[in-house]
Formats: sequence, structure tokens, C-alpha cells
Amino acid sequence: MNVLIVEDERSLSHEMEIYLTRQNFNCDVAFNGKSGTDKVLTNSYDFVLLDLGLPDMDGLDLLKDARKKGSEAAFIVLTARGEVEDKIKGLDLGADDYIPKPFSLAELHSRMQAILRRKHGLKSNTMTVADFDIDISNRTVQCKAQTINLTKKEFDLFHYLSLHKNRVLTRTQLTEHIWGDVLEDDYESNYIDVHVKNLRKKLSAHAPIDWFETVRGVGYRINI
Amino acid sequence: MGFFEKVLFKKKVTTIQTKFAIYNALSKSLIILSFMALLPLIVEKVVYDHIDKRLIARTERILLTVQKGGIDDIVLEQDCSFESYSILKEEFVAIYPILDPRKMPPSMEIKNEAWQIDGEKMQHRIIRRPFTYDNQLYELNIGEGISSIEQLKSTIQRFSLIMMIVVVVISLFVDLGFVRILMKPLDKIMHKKLQPVPSPNNFDFTTIPSTTHEFNKLDQRINEMMLKLRDAFQIEKEFISNVSHELQTPISIVQNRLENIMIDANLSDDVLVRLSDSQRTLNRMSKIIKALLLISKIENDQYLKSEEVTTINILDEVIQDVEERLNQKNIKLIKQFYEDFNIKPCNRTLLYTMFTNLINNAIKYNKEDGSIIITTKFIDDVFHIEIKDTGIGMKKEDLPAIFDRFKRLNTSTAEGFGLGLPIVKTIAAFHKIDITVDSEPSVGSTFDLQFSM
Repeated sequence: MNVLIVEDERSLSHEMEIYLTRQNFNCDVAFNGKSGTDKVLTNSYDFVLLDLGLPDMDGLDLLKDARKKGSEAAFIVLTARGEVEDKIKGLDLGADDYIPKPFSLAELHSRMQAILRRKHGLKSNTMTVADFDIDISNRTVQCKAQTINLTKKEFDLFHYLSLHKNRVLTRTQLTEHIWGDVLEDDYESNYIDVHVKNLRKKLSAHAPIDWFETVRGVGYRINI
Repeated sequence: MGFFEKVLFKKKVTTIQTKFAIYNALSKSLIILSFMALLPLIVEKVVYDHIDKRLIARTERILLTVQKGGIDDIVLEQDCSFESYSILKEEFVAIYPILDPRKMPPSMEIKNEAWQIDGEKMQHRIIRRPFTYDNQLYELNIGEGISSIEQLKSTIQRFSLIMMIVVVVISLFVDLGFVRILMKPLDKIMHKKLQPVPSPNNFDFTTIPSTTHEFNKLDQRINEMMLKLRDAFQIEKEFISNVSHELQTPISIVQNRLENIMIDANLSDDVLVRLSDSQRTLNRMSKIIKALLLISKIENDQYLKSEEVTTINILDEVIQDVEERLNQKNIKLIKQFYEDFNIKPCNRTLLYTMFTNLINNAIKYNKEDGSIIITTKFIDDVFHIEIKDTGIGMKKEDLPAIFDRFKRLNTSTAEGFGLGLPIVKTIAAFHKIDITVDSEPSVGSTFDLQFSM
């Protein structure tokens, strides 16, 4: 998978590169709109991570230009503007998703995977975690052909942890994923723990889940 | 306010026009009163001056006749005296020899005196003038009746008074009319520019024409002030928005770097915990910035208001979303939806945030096994939504500050960024919803939303 990161903030671009390289993506970077346009038109990318506030041009113009010239890469717009209008404009112009800054790399990764599933219409849209089968399209979890009744948030939680298995996800990352950008005056709450507790109860009723670990003071991990 | 005004208006605030009217009426009345007091004196003075002049002229004429033709022509009586009067005894001339020189009067005197003619005493204005003829001292008395003068006086007085009242009334109306015309620009300034004081963003900067220097200056200065205010608002708006955006990028960098570091398998548990704490702190910072940005964007009218939503609909949706939180604290939520209301035009997302914050607040500060009652109903044609909790409540003196940014009350150990209620207030103001709060410590709080749209 080839990814182009168009981001003028070099440190940010660097961190994204490190993370995505670890996830086995081939990363290419551009620090301004012109070089970004050149690269998009010359090379074939699966993903373009596009910052809107580029020094020499508006990221949306780059997107428009690339689409006009037939680029088939999936565009994910990264912006600090965080404005609804930008979101609509970005999606209208052919962006595949939109993530407001600051975003979590885990979140970025899961969005990229969602796009991949959507774009390539993966036949088996399922994941397997130990004895559990997660059907992503139908949003169901089964264990030994038995469907487990999960709430929307419980499903999201399980799916997100599975996507990033063998890695700790902090409460902050999980909260961000489950509640998204909602402005809560309650970020210190233990709602995540409650959801995890309920999820564990439901899962463990069907099979042992000792791989579902709590990392004290940090968060949770599916360790398989 | 001066003493005079204090007494006159008892510190009551009135319009300039009313004050002018009162002043006018008072000053004109004062003129009439003083005129009435002075008029008799003036009339008397004028009339007596007139009579005196005539008397003096007559004296001169008689004395001249005496000098020319001798006194014998006039003095017929044996005692060398002479008296003559008109038929109605209004006028008389009398000459008497002065027998005792010590009784000689001063060179000339004029005074009012009762004079006896034919046994009848009548008030006269009398001139008394001594003269010498043929070594004999004489005294000349010429008198004029003054009963007609009193009549004249009252006639003039009445006439003047009527004139005066007519003039005063006319001038009163003319004054008021003039004041009205004069004050018209001020009226316009008051109504167009200051009532109510508008947001500088939709201020009408057109000049209000006036030929009065002061009003022109006033209008000009108000315009200048509003322009400065608008610029300041604009700068603040851009500042908050720029700062927020500029801060998000470095936060992004650190956040992503932390994530990358945490993936490293060789970290000790302690380091991992501290990194995760840092991530949370960073997240908090980002939320504060986002909240500030949200408030500033709403205040600067950067959100559309083009949707409509029914209150029960949106409340149900929010309640469904917070159900898990209610269960967690075992809080009972009682819906008393007596009436529904269509909020239009509105911004659905913002209203959703507002209700979420309010209901979350009622959960957050509630007690275990507590309850929340949400009531929707019309009271006197105004739609109310009341959110009442059985929480820890707040002290009365804390209530005014709860909607202020960054003023968190010491009622909870739970950390928040203190912008939940300011966001509520801002969204409510954006939709012209009034919010009032009532609260009692350890009993609970009630938030009352009034829809006056």
C-alpha cells in the first residue's frame, strides 16, 4: 500500500510516516502543494493524507486538480479548521474521509482500513479474535455460531481493540473513537471502563477471554 | 443632576422634550406672575408721569398769564384768592396769597391729596407752586382728579394680561415645536443606533443628517466607536480562531509522537502510565481549545440556523444517548412531556450539544439513585423546558457565575474543563432561548429554558 502524506508540518508528517511504515505502508511525503500535486499525478497511491492548510495552496484545490486528472487514490483530508463547511466541501470534491486535527494515529489507521474495505469490497468482511468472529458489515459478533447481543458502543469498542490487537489502546484513544468529536466536559469519566466491563461480561459468557487485558493506569489490549 | 432638577423631577428620568416642556411652562408662568405683580406699578408710574407733565405745563401757562396781564385779571375775590373747577370737579385751579411766609411751601411739589370742592372731598393729583407777584407771595394749586386713573389702570392691566397669556401660549407651542424639530436628529440617533445597542456587526453606519453641530458630532463619534468596537471584535474573532488552529498543529505532533512512543514494546509500565497521562492532558488541552473555538464561532454567527426540530424528538434522542450513564449511577429519568414545540429556525447539532451538556450535567452532579425530571410545557404562551435534578446543588451566590467561562465551582471533584455551561449559554443565546437556574445545596438544581422565538 502506497501512501502520500501532504503536510507542511514536518514533525507531524514524520510521526505519521513512522506509524504507517510500522503498519507496512510505503510512505512518501510532500511538504507543499506543488510537490504534492506533482507526486499525486506522477505516482500511483492508494492513499493521500492531505493537509488543507498548505503554504502555497489550498489543499482542496490539490484534491480538485487530482480528481480532475483521474487520480484514484483515496483522499483523507486532515485539517485544523474543523469546520463543517470544510467537511462538506471536502467530501463533495471527492475526499473519502475527513479527520480534524489533532487526531490519533490509531484512529487514522482505522479510518484507512474502513476505506479499504469500502473501496475494494472485501469479500470476507470479518475478523476473527480467538473464538469470536466479528462481522464488520453487519456489525455482529458471533461465537461458535451463536450471536452475541452487543450495544453499538460495545461493538465499536471490540472492533477497535481487535483492529489494533497486541497493542495497548489508552482510555483517551478509546473515548475519542467511541464518542468522536463530541465536546464533553467530562473527559476524566470512567464510562469506557463501564463499557469494557459489560463487553467482557458478554464475551466471557461464551468463551474464555484471558487475552482481553487491562493495562493498569493506561487502557486495554487484546493480546493474541 | 443639579439641585433644581432634583427638586423638580425628583430624580425621575424623563426625556429632554418633557424637561423642555416643563421648563417652558414654568418659565412662562414666572414671567406672567412677575408681570402681573409689576404691572400696576408701571401703569401708575406712566400715568402719573403723564399727569405731572401736564400739570407742570399748565402751571407754566398760568404763571405766564399772571406775568403778562397781572393777577387782577384772575383774582377776583376780595381776599385775593381764586378758585375755578370744571363741572365734574375733575380739574381745578386755585390761587391763594400766602399770608404767613413761614408756611411757604417748597419751590414745587406734586402729590395726591383729597381736595374739598363744594363741600365734597375728592382725591386729586395736585401740583403746588409758590410765586411772587407785586411783592405778594401766592400759592398756585392745580389739581386733576385721579378716580379715572384707577379705572384706566385696571383696563390696561386686564388688556395686558390677556395679551400676555396669548403670547405665552403661542410661544409655548412654538418652543415645543422648535424643540421637537431641534431634537429630531437625537431622536433618530437614539432609535436607530442606540435602542437597543446592536451588535457592531449589524450596526447601521449611515449618517443621521442634522444642522446641529453637537448632534453631528455625537452621531459621528458613535459611528467611530462602533467601528472601533467592530474592529476589536473582528480582531478577537480572528485571534481566537487563529490561535486555536495554530495550537492544534503542535498538539497533533506531540499526540502522534506519544502514540508512536507507546507502541514501543520496551517501555516499563511506569513510563507507559505516564505517557498515557500525558496523552490525556494533551487531550484536555485540545478539548478546551475546541470548546473556545466553538463558543467564538457561535458568537460570531458562523453557524447556520436553517433547520427545525421538535423538542420532544431531540430530547428523546439525547436521553437515549446518555442512557448508559443514567444506568451507571442508577438515576431515574422522568419525562413529563406535556406539550411539544417546534424550534425553528435552529441548528440541530448545536441544540443537540446543548441538551447533551445539560442532561449530562444533571447526571454528573446527581447522587446515586437520584432522579432527573424533564418537563416540557407552555406557561403563559411561553414554551418551557425544565431540567430538574436531585443532585448536590449549588449555593445561591454561586449561581450567577456558573455560565462564566473557566469559573468552575468547588462542588465536584470530577475534573472538567469548565466550559460545559458556557457552551450551553452560548448556544441558547444563539437561538434566543433564555436560561434561568434555581438551586439549593444538597437538594438539587433546576435549569429552566424559555423559548421566546
